[in-house]
Amino acid sequence: MSIGGSDLDRAIHQLRSCRPIPENQVRELCYKARELLIEEGNVVGVDAPVTICGDIHGQFHDLMELFRVGGDVPDTNYLFMGDFVDRGFYSLESFLLLLCLKVRYPDRITLIRGNHESRQITTVYGFYDECLRKYGSANVWRYCCEVFDYLALGALVTGAATSLSPTDAPLAENANIECPPDSDELEIETLNAAGEIMSRCARGYDGQSVSQPTSNPPSSSPVPTPSRTGPAGTGATSSSGGSLGNDSGAILCVHGGLSPLIDTIDKIRLLDRKQEVPHEGAMCDLLWSDPDEIDGWGLSPRGAGFLFGADIVKCFNQKNNLSLIARAHQLVMEGFKEMFDSTIVTVWSAPNYCYRCGNVAAILELGEDGSNAGYVRRSNGDQGGGGGGWILGSNVGPNGGAGNANGNRRLSSVLGERAREGPGRRYRVFDAAPQDSRGMPAKKPVADYFL
Amino acid sequence: MSSSTGAPLDTPAPGHDADSVITRTGFRIATRKLPILKAGPIDDMTKKLGIAPPEMIFGDNMARIEHAQSGWSIEFNAFDALDRVDKTGDSMLKVSYSKEWQQNRQKQFEDIKEVVKPFDWSYSTDYKGSVSGGPAFTPTDTPIPLALLQRKDPILFFDDVMLYEDELADNGIAMLSSKIRVMPERLLLLSRFFMRLDDVLLRIRDTRVYVDFATGEVIREYTAREEKYEVVRKALAGTKDDVLAVLRDPNPLSQYLPITEKTLEKVVLK
Repeated sequence: MSIGGSDLDRAIHQLRSCRPIPENQVRELCYKARELLIEEGNVVGVDAPVTICGDIHGQFHDLMELFRVGGDVPDTNYLFMGDFVDRGFYSLESFLLLLCLKVRYPDRITLIRGNHESRQITTVYGFYDECLRKYGSANVWRYCCEVFDYLALGALVTGAATSLSPTDAPLAENANIECPPDSDELEIETLNAAGEIMSRCARGYDGQSVSQPTSNPPSSSPVPTPSRTGPAGTGATSSSGGSLGNDSGAILCVHGGLSPLIDTIDKIRLLDRKQEVPHEGAMCDLLWSDPDEIDGWGLSPRGAGFLFGADIVKCFNQKNNLSLIARAHQLVMEGFKEMFDSTIVTVWSAPNYCYRCGNVAAILELGEDGSNAGYVRRSNGDQGGGGGGWILGSNVGPNGGAGNANGNRRLSSVLGERAREGPGRRYRVFDAAPQDSRGMPAKKPVADYFL
Repeated sequence: MSSSTGAPLDTPAPGHDADSVITRTGFRIATRKLPILKAGPIDDMTKKLGIAPPEMIFGDNMARIEHAQSGWSIEFNAFDALDRVDKTGDSMLKVSYSKEWQQNRQKQFEDIKEVVKPFDWSYSTDYKGSVSGGPAFTPTDTPIPLALLQRKDPILFFDDVMLYEDELADNGIAMLSSKIRVMPERLLLLSRFFMRLDDVLLRIRDTRVYVDFATGEVIREYTAREEKYEVVRKALAGTKDDVLAVLRDPNPLSQYLPITEKTLEKVVLK
């Protein structure tokens, strides 16, 4: 049977209620998905507005909560940065639902590869066992792994606005507002799952005149405990000033981070991605590396993998006309963590990770630069269409685009600018779906006669 | 759905369900369970410890046994356990594909040599609990009376407290937890460190604390076990067990790991 049109809608409906679809439908779905993904470049072009999400790890009910908080597909344009599977109990339903949505609304959802989208990792961390348990054979796991090999390695978001239009919503308790009332340059806004404003930060605002709320008792409050300047989780500081403008540089989204083999985005485009995640090399680094408070590049103490410091990120962003790198891969208790003067952010979207960490999750919304209105939406192809948008693949080069004389409005605006102004960032922070909705055993440990 | 305040529904607020307590003939047994630490407390802990804490750090959690009359207590908490992790690079393990990775890397990036903040990132600890007050433990030959613990006496109090956990960057698992069960006449606490570095090494380090309420006798047994991954995998291949499942579960696994260290101590509280 074929899976298309109403069949696909039926499959989506079934998966939304957390019921797996039959094996023959999975095969068909994976085939369709591969046909679609093979057309995508290694770096998918995505237009703002877009909602960027981090690790999901098979926490299906929390993925439903994410959609409740962030809006449904196709109303909201989503970008998921990998690690859909493993650890949680519903990797299969989570990944297949995302895949169905991808096939049904290809221009409204982008999926990129995480280090868990790999044969080797899924055999150790749960997805393989889950498929075997739910289907009695490894076929479905095999189909899914073939899709993994076709997932893009990154995405480039363009057309994001540098400032947010403030949300018209009530303030949450203990809200942290670092924003003069007349400010028209709202850089960061954090909302809770009820849509209430938890914090606000204006661009370049030093926050000195605003008294910080007193620290919350440890681990008790949903509002991240503020530290240093700027709202918790953000790296907002008074140094992030800059010229006024209403479009930001592009935002690179990858699962892990940078690679010493990759100094331009074009080099990512040249990789042969259709393979199992290798143990070394650029593709491996993009999915595995982590930022750290170091200078330059470092080696992980584990004996494999790179760590990169602020200078690496700043240099890469400048060279590639990026204003921000969004990545996932590391658990952060507040759901998101900006580092290195807000040049890189970690987004984590699995609340109460592994059903026991008690952490909150976050998604990052980037607004649309108003001047982008009327532009023809590009397909998710590698090379961007014309029409005044970014010319993907040609806006970067050894000189960071400075020598590019195509007259592109955005490109010309970066000339002579030291660093691109970051996009306006709205973080929606949310908790785990309630325990009873997932049919999970009670949290209370069962007494046993251990020895 | 979440509550309107956004508080995680799964996790108790401090001062409420987080703490569990039972008192038994002069002994007070308490556990505390809270979510992982947030960024601020993690920064503080990092400074105090001098190493990066594990990815999941339950820094507010603890399991504690107190004897009021003698002022003696033993507590199991994450900070003290992590303080015993090797903070130098001397006992650092390497992930299975490290050699392959290093060789390929060296061809291209000879200048990237510095290993960032070396320490025992497997978070292996020989923690036996934090003891304070009262008389000290002394070596003994008296074993923990297994027969008495195998009786199905009613369990009056039970808890399983996670102290820390790290996925070793998807190369395995390191975890430390403390389990406790209190029966009418005695209790057993098991604090277990379990570490599996895929394709490299397996470690189980158990600290058992046995208390006899009537006599005030406390026995502490520490057992460290260790074996190469490949040796265990081969041994398991000859059984009908699911190899990967056993490698994830320290209970069936422990019989395949030879004992590398064992101590037995006793203290009598009056």
